[in-house]
Amino acid sequence: MEIIAIPTNGKGGLNEDISPRFGRCSSFTLVNIENNEIISVKTVPNQAANAMGGAGVQASQIVGMNNANVVIVGKLGPNASQALSALNLKIIEAPDEILSIKKVIELYLGGKLQELSSSNVGSHFGANRG
Amino acid sequence: MTEKPKIICVTGGKGGTGKTLVAVNLAIMFKNENYNVLLIDGDVENPNTYLLLGGKLENQKEVPFFKPKILEDKCTKCGLCAENCAPHALLHIADSYPIPILAVCSGCQLCFKICPAEAIVEDSKVIGWTYDTKVKGLSLMIGELKPSEARSAAVVEALLSNLDEILKTNQEKYDIIIIDTAPGAHCDVELLIEKGDLLIPVTEPTRFGKMDLVRIIDLIKLMKKDYKAIVNRSSLLGFRDEFLKELEDNNIDVLGDIPLDNDIVNSYCQGKPLMDEYGQYHDGKGYQAFQQIFKNLKEWIQNDSKNRGGK
Repeated sequence: MEIIAIPTNGKGGLNEDISPRFGRCSSFTLVNIENNEIISVKTVPNQAANAMGGAGVQASQIVGMNNANVVIVGKLGPNASQALSALNLKIIEAPDEILSIKKVIELYLGGKLQELSSSNVGSHFGANRG
Repeated sequence: MTEKPKIICVTGGKGGTGKTLVAVNLAIMFKNENYNVLLIDGDVENPNTYLLLGGKLENQKEVPFFKPKILEDKCTKCGLCAENCAPHALLHIADSYPIPILAVCSGCQLCFKICPAEAIVEDSKVIGWTYDTKVKGLSLMIGELKPSEARSAAVVEALLSNLDEILKTNQEKYDIIIIDTAPGAHCDVELLIEKGDLLIPVTEPTRFGKMDLVRIIDLIKLMKKDYKAIVNRSSLLGFRDEFLKELEDNNIDVLGDIPLDNDIVNSYCQGKPLMDEYGQYHDGKGYQAFQQIFKNLKEWIQNDSKNRGGK
């Protein structure tokens, strides 16, 4: 069994789009996978979204506390990258386009996505947008 | 009873106005008149006073900064430290040891103090360095923040701690202390302004210059400090008189102004201070402007001492 956490826009869920940012996304969608099939989906709001600082660290904590094993992200800053690694979570890079969570999971289960070894944007990338 | 050395703090808010140029040359002019001068470079993200003096960074000392160390054999994984860490610098999920994320740790030491199992001990990391050197007859104390670190105020505090030690144990060592601050109005600048007896914000005759000057004066006034501004590059685009009048209309006292002068640029690039008594520059408009500023400054210091009931 594997729990995959994906940052999402809005309230999250399979039909919601993946959020390009991690630390300050609106919500996290947690997808429970067993035998290559989705068995359950949970969404949690991201309380770190409006944090003054350290949003990436807090977001990592939320994801960790929800027992995720894998995180699929678009962009990941240095603090979040360090925190996720410290929690031994596997980090997978999502494709550049805006896709639904359902589509992202499909790509992941089909082995189409690559692992991300470290941050791919600088600090504060996701702050002050929208 | 000897008087405490006067501390002059050169600041300005706006970057690139000429704070270091002014701080270095004021220091040189005092030295020329046989004052014992200490020049402190508090622009710890970009210390470059020594460059204008043709000096070197010497006598490096590390500036330590707290970091928590978790003793796993004592930690009960209760998570109290992580729960109370304001910048969320301790990562904790159920049944795991807290993981420090140093990049966001503020060094407040709360975790160390509240751990009920005493499982957190004080460790330290290097956040920067201080240097002590002597160049052109001046004593120079420089602070440098380690690149990628954020807390410049920590290095400034180390400089001020050294200064306090000097003032406590050897007050007669220096007659005058000049501090060069960073641009901006952040807490690293505020710490140095607080230490100053007299503040000299340096500006330029543009809208940006005026705006940033007003901001830094707001901070200076908030701290109830005495100041007089210097307008550098005053002949820029012919705005001098208009700009000086604007400052006057805003009740901003001016210590003097320095026009554009190629000698200043040359001295700057060569690392040979303009006002060096053995230097090659003695006639230009910039040189004369600095001389006038120095005269005004000495008068200001004298009046300040009188007002404080000094000798």
